[in-house]
Amino acid sequence: MLFGIFSFVLIIAISLRVTFGRYLNHLPEEKRRISLENFKSYLRWIAGWKFSFLKLSRWDRAIDYFIKWAKKNFSGWTVWVFYLMSLCYVYLASSGLFFAWFVPRGLFGFPLLLHVAAGALFAITLTVILFLKARHYLPERLNASGELSGQGFWCPLLKKSLPRIYIQAVSFWIFVLTGFLLAASTLGSMLPYFNYPAQIVFFNLHRWSAVFSVVSAILGLDSIIE
Amino acid sequence: MKVQPEKRENCQRGRWKKTFQIVLLLISVTIFFFVTLSISRLLEAKNQSGQKTALKLRSEEKKEWSGSQLSPLHRIPLNDEFNQKIVPVAADALPFSSRFSCEPCHSYSTVSQGSHFNFKERPAVDRRTEPWFWVDERTGIQLPVSFQKYPGFWSPEKLGLSDWKFVTLFGRHLSGGGPGEPADEFQTPDSRWNVSGKLEINCLGCHHRSPLQDHSEWVKQVMRENFRWAATAASGLGEVVGMASRLPSTWTLADGPDPDDREWAVVPQVKYNQNLFDSKNNALLDLSRPENNRCLACHSVSPRNAKSRAELERDVHLAAGLSCVDCHRNDLSHEMIRGFEGERLMRSSLKSYDYTCAGCHLGEKPEKGGYGWTGKLGAPRPTHRGIPKVHFERLACTVCHSGLLPGKEPQGVYTARANRLGIFGKAIWTSEFPLIYEPVFVREVDGKIYPERIMWPAFWAEKKGKELVPLDSEEVFRAAPEAFSLKQEVAALLNALLPLRGGDFYPAAVISDFLFEPDVDGGLKARQLEKSPFSGKQEGKQFLLVQVNDSEIIPLLPVFDPEEAPSDIEEKIQKTLENLKPLAGGRQPVFLINKYRYEISEGYLEKKEIEGEAPAEPTVGFLEGEEFQPLLSPFQVRNLVHPGAGPETLTEELVELALRKISAASPEKEFAYVAGGFLFILDKRGMLRASEHQAARAITWPLGHEVRPAQQALGKNGCTDCHSPGSKIFFGKVEARSPLKTSHRESKLGSDLMQTGPLFQFLFGVTFLFRPAFKLVLAGCVILMGLILLAVVLKITGRAAGLSGENSQRQPRS
Repeated sequence: MLFGIFSFVLIIAISLRVTFGRYLNHLPEEKRRISLENFKSYLRWIAGWKFSFLKLSRWDRAIDYFIKWAKKNFSGWTVWVFYLMSLCYVYLASSGLFFAWFVPRGLFGFPLLLHVAAGALFAITLTVILFLKARHYLPERLNASGELSGQGFWCPLLKKSLPRIYIQAVSFWIFVLTGFLLAASTLGSMLPYFNYPAQIVFFNLHRWSAVFSVVSAILGLDSIIE
Repeated sequence: MKVQPEKRENCQRGRWKKTFQIVLLLISVTIFFFVTLSISRLLEAKNQSGQKTALKLRSEEKKEWSGSQLSPLHRIPLNDEFNQKIVPVAADALPFSSRFSCEPCHSYSTVSQGSHFNFKERPAVDRRTEPWFWVDERTGIQLPVSFQKYPGFWSPEKLGLSDWKFVTLFGRHLSGGGPGEPADEFQTPDSRWNVSGKLEINCLGCHHRSPLQDHSEWVKQVMRENFRWAATAASGLGEVVGMASRLPSTWTLADGPDPDDREWAVVPQVKYNQNLFDSKNNALLDLSRPENNRCLACHSVSPRNAKSRAELERDVHLAAGLSCVDCHRNDLSHEMIRGFEGERLMRSSLKSYDYTCAGCHLGEKPEKGGYGWTGKLGAPRPTHRGIPKVHFERLACTVCHSGLLPGKEPQGVYTARANRLGIFGKAIWTSEFPLIYEPVFVREVDGKIYPERIMWPAFWAEKKGKELVPLDSEEVFRAAPEAFSLKQEVAALLNALLPLRGGDFYPAAVISDFLFEPDVDGGLKARQLEKSPFSGKQEGKQFLLVQVNDSEIIPLLPVFDPEEAPSDIEEKIQKTLENLKPLAGGRQPVFLINKYRYEISEGYLEKKEIEGEAPAEPTVGFLEGEEFQPLLSPFQVRNLVHPGAGPETLTEELVELALRKISAASPEKEFAYVAGGFLFILDKRGMLRASEHQAARAITWPLGHEVRPAQQALGKNGCTDCHSPGSKIFFGKVEARSPLKTSHRESKLGSDLMQTGPLFQFLFGVTFLFRPAFKLVLAGCVILMGLILLAVVLKITGRAAGLSGENSQRQPRS
């Protein structure tokens, strides 16, 4: 119950925060501030945004954007690995969260079968992506890359504006770490070595990892959209 | 350096603003967590409130325990039902009354509210228990009866069973009290309580540690309607003679014995065993916690295919030295702990959860109201390695640990109360019906799966719209005796051939691959022949008369030359024909051999030459006019061979015949027979038609025992114990068995009963073929990802510690 409420609120809150920030960026510089007026107009905007998703053209644009980004960042066959990972991840996250939030029994039946199958593919593709991309997100590479300039984000902890690539890198490593924990907890629960309390730990590790994986994916996605 | 006041003010304002923002953030986070936790707890509490509400019937008010752990020797006076002390030497001593003998120390009224006695009043709130079964093998009835109104269970009220009828039917396995002691307003005209006395609670039936305590004696006394004498006779304190069932319904205890009748309607009398009393007429009773045998008299279960008791496996708890009452405890309330989680109907001072599987083996955390420790009664704590959490949420412990090991299909079992086990004597008490099978795995209303026993009801009923009203077996039999007395008739015919047999052989009939022989109870039993020497000769014949002993089957009729017939043969033939006369129904019994026919004429055996074709072999039969009819009619042969050696007693032809007869007696009503999951009725053309009906559906009830050792638990050998494409658990098929031999039989897959879907389970099972590869791939991924993550962490740590990269060059050792 705690997990359901917490994860739901967290994911919705992150999504709202991200979209609110994106909304503010569309405003003229002098109007970019947190105010009731902006919040109201944001809500109107998000409502319109929601309905606009019913239009196929929006989906086309989104997918085009995604493909363009993927082709830019992955060369040759590796782009297909990325597509496969993304597809698996969308199913894993949506099925996992939907059942966790709205079905008291949790994930079961055919969605569970697909979840297991997609989970295996996700683990494999994530490993490949990690092989291919880990070096790009190492701190020294980040500093050496030419992406440090451009629109950044405000870090309240460091009290300064940081380049967008940093948020991408943090999202990437959180995504990888949670993916690792997701795979490890799945494997652990299937091996005949761990007793019931360990199974509980694996179960909780799996679902909390999933939530933070989704959060990192949202932040990562936001960071790659211009 | 001097700071300008304006700048300082701005700086201070900025600091305040930041502090305010931090405080606001902290408050928001606190509120967020508080609200989240509160809502989740509220929802959790609401979710659990339905399960944990205990129904308290009555609280214990008086402490009756002295504090000692000893069970004392009971040196007590026994009182009769008039509360008069029994003097065992007295010739007219009455049986003891447990109400008046035990009451001085133990409140009878409190005990009578216990779960073995107050089942008339118990609501159907807990999980189902095994019902009683109203069985009539002749008419093919096996009907579940229970005072608790669970779906598919028939209440005695609906069946028109008065307390009297209930006790006469099921008193054999009742422990007294409840319906055995009805209040005056519940006494019906059909009852004979004034003759039999009340069936009081049989305290000694459970608590008496004497080797003389005898359940079979209890049954005999109850069957003789000697209700008030039953406890005395069963305890071995006294010997009871006489039968209340033979006494007139006007007889009362005040009438005393009838000096004129010492053979038939003998008034029950007790002759006490004086060795069990002291000189002050106090009985010496070793009364203690019930021994296992006392419980097993009514609660034992055994597989039908077990050839001997030696094949049975004991419950692992009993094998470990525990006794039934170690877990199924009770206090004076006699409210037995049934031992499953979520037991609601509790009024004892004991905490039922402590005696569930989890209560002993896992314990309960203190925050949930438990003690925080486990190991009650030495219970080992299970590790359940490699079993995913969902199994503990969706399955009862008993799924993997109890009952018979699942086979391709569930096995038939006998249960003590249903099939009358534990009653010993010359007669065979065990009944084939009801046909009960285990284990089937059923999802219950709480969403959990339990191992259960299953049976399909079978009964005759009047159809009133969509409702079915069961008919009394006697009524059904009276309406169509020819449909229900087939086996008895054939057994009588075979018995009539006894003079033709030789030595220790007895007559029987071979039909198809089955041997039919009369049993000691006047019925007919069938055995399948391994290889019949007569099967070749049977071609073109319907049956063959034979004589059998323990190991041999030979032709019944000797072949002799009728021209020079030995005198002893003719004497046998005469006796046989004379014996057949009462069974012939107006026909002439005859014996045919070669071209001659033997018959009785005016008391003498007469040999006549017959015209036409002579029979190939000697044969017995009947002559109706000039037509020869074989001993067994085609109707009898058809309806005997169809059920064969199976437990079924009826065929569709017999059901059709019976329905026609019953309908002819009341043409304005519609009648039906329910069996095998179907409802059988006559259509407009008078043909038998089967259809589905809710009342025909199978009933199930959870089983708890026998608990198998952990090494025999499902899952011990891995996931494939249950999850595989050909899983016995999910794809094992249970087919309805009933007294009717028919092709219309409901069948269910395990996955249907579990409501998991066969396709899903098949695909899920298939995934287990790839599981090892899946695990290897996943392990590879985890190792690779782990190594890369470790390398990154090492790299960052190294940089931070100045061991590598720019830092190591920038800060050389000085």
